[in-house]
Amino acid sequence: MAETVLIVDDEEPVRRTFRDWLAQAGWGVNVVAIADAEAALKHAQDNPVDLAILDWNLGMGSDGLQLLEDLVEFHPDIVAIMVTGFAHQATPLDALRMGVRDYLDKNQELTRETFLAAVRKQLDRIAPAKHQREFTRGLLQFRESVGRILPLVQSTAALNDPVPLPEAVRHLFRFLVRLTGAADGAMVGRHITEDGTERFLAFSPDGKAIPTLAIPFGRSLAATVLSMNEPCLLMGEDLATLGPVDLQPFETNHEMLLAAPVVVADGTHVVIELFDKPGGFTAEDRRHLTGTTEFCTEILRNALAERQTQRLLINAVESALKASETAVGIANPAGLPDEVMDQLKTDLNRTANRVVDGETSLELAEAIRELAVRHGSSSVRHCLRLIGNVRDMLDELSGEWNG
Amino acid sequence: MNGTPTVFDEIFRLLTPERLLLDPRATGEGVAVAMIDGGVESSVLAAKHPQMHPIQGAIFRNDQPQPFPYLGHQSSPHGTTVADIILTMAPRVTLYSADVFGPTGTSEVDTVIRAIRHAIDVWNCKVINLSLGVPEAKLQQPAKRAQLLRTVEEAYYRDVLVFAAAHNEHPLTRSYPAAFAPPLISVDKGLFADPLDFAYALRETVEFQAHGRAYLGPFTREPATSWATPHLSGIAARLLSLRPEMKPFEIKTLLYWMFVARQSQESKAETPG
Repeated sequence: MAETVLIVDDEEPVRRTFRDWLAQAGWGVNVVAIADAEAALKHAQDNPVDLAILDWNLGMGSDGLQLLEDLVEFHPDIVAIMVTGFAHQATPLDALRMGVRDYLDKNQELTRETFLAAVRKQLDRIAPAKHQREFTRGLLQFRESVGRILPLVQSTAALNDPVPLPEAVRHLFRFLVRLTGAADGAMVGRHITEDGTERFLAFSPDGKAIPTLAIPFGRSLAATVLSMNEPCLLMGEDLATLGPVDLQPFETNHEMLLAAPVVVADGTHVVIELFDKPGGFTAEDRRHLTGTTEFCTEILRNALAERQTQRLLINAVESALKASETAVGIANPAGLPDEVMDQLKTDLNRTANRVVDGETSLELAEAIRELAVRHGSSSVRHCLRLIGNVRDMLDELSGEWNG
Repeated sequence: MNGTPTVFDEIFRLLTPERLLLDPRATGEGVAVAMIDGGVESSVLAAKHPQMHPIQGAIFRNDQPQPFPYLGHQSSPHGTTVADIILTMAPRVTLYSADVFGPTGTSEVDTVIRAIRHAIDVWNCKVINLSLGVPEAKLQQPAKRAQLLRTVEEAYYRDVLVFAAAHNEHPLTRSYPAAFAPPLISVDKGLFADPLDFAYALRETVEFQAHGRAYLGPFTREPATSWATPHLSGIAARLLSLRPEMKPFEIKTLLYWMFVARQSQESKAETPG
């Protein structure tokens, strides 16, 4: 954003001369020239002013120093150059305190060069300080808006649900119950949160939550089904030889059960259970169940990945918010504070099905960004080709890739 | 060589698979067997196998380098069913339960490797049963795969027999560590009238077939490699209780010989006259 220079002088030729000199300098600054203190204050009330060039004696009894004192009310960081015919009478200490950084003496050599040199000197000081102020102000606005939005986002039920069973999976489950002709069914879900808390849930085919799961996961039928890695059929006498397994209340009083596991991620599992088909479940039912669970796995994995991305973003924003508390100390606004990087690394390490650690992921992302900034997108494409070649070579060496 | 029976023929006639397996000493006594699985509910097994030795074990977690003490409980019923099969086949083995599933219900390759090493170094097990497997698609990184292979090979060179379940329903998909055969013995499921029966069925990544049903729990009638593997582990434990110093290749040879001998007996029985 260009700096704004306010010229206040009651002599029109002086105003015009200063304005012309600044325009000819080609610095791209905004120049506003005003004749009296009242009009200057009205302007400053609604417009930015970075540097004020004020006549010491504005006529009509007002002086530049008084005007500066009033301008400070609207722009506390304003810097001023005083133009005076009697600089020796100025009170340097008070003037300095109010923001006067230089004097131009009308009675000495006030030339284009001395004027522009004085203005340039102040503009060079103003630019970084203004940038820092704008950054801090922007950060404060960011903090304020994030601080308002974050609790709303966090309390959104969809994000707080540790086992988000997308509607598509529920539809698929209902479809499967109808397709196989099962009399009833249940979808059992289990999720271990990051702090080790277990949530063990069950849903009926109409999508309603089944209130209480009385049996812990370690003794449940669902746990056995997950261990089997494939659809399992339970019939008649099997239900009498439960051994290390206990049935949930909704699993009792059935004559047969066909169940299949859906392993979504570490600590997140789903088991689809179908109950009681007249005439018994067939091999075709098993195939339908296998196909459906594979499809469910993909849907749930994608849903989980999406949720993890949201969580990653929220955590990153939260840590950025925390880090911005010490924003004044951030020397390089383009770089990310350590707290944010650490949070990102931690979250990436927790990501389901991760193949590289978070630190390496971030290093790679940063290297690609830097490459793109320095050498353009063609260099990134070249890099991708190199990665592809290395992958092909390793695949060939290991001889194991089945695509 | 005039075809006249010699004393050795007489000895070999007396030496039959049944004589070995049904020897009163072939109980698994003195043989330490580790089962790397979902833990064991010891009270359930103690009720069914009152003669068994107390089960020892440890819980291995993905995020902790050191194992936690085993408290007599299962993380998943699967492990108890596997342990029951081993105890049914060899009731006097000393059973060690390495629970690698823990509360999350899944296990990483690193955790399985740590459990195998613990079974070898700390428990001094002679047999390791792995009724689990990682599908090939989920173990693509060559480095991780090599690490698992090195651990299995280390077991072999330290005279430890590792039995691993072949992949259940996907004949074209390989499953690790079973795919590392031959340093370990990869077991497929089959149905046999006698649970002590088994077959040598060599094909890629599979060497033996054993009885694929279980005796405890709801899915006992579901044929599964998870159930077949402890059958062969139990049979090996029976043989080892007769000669504890036998090496993995000797056990494998013996298993092969037993299968061939049984086939020969069956064909003789079917031959008229």
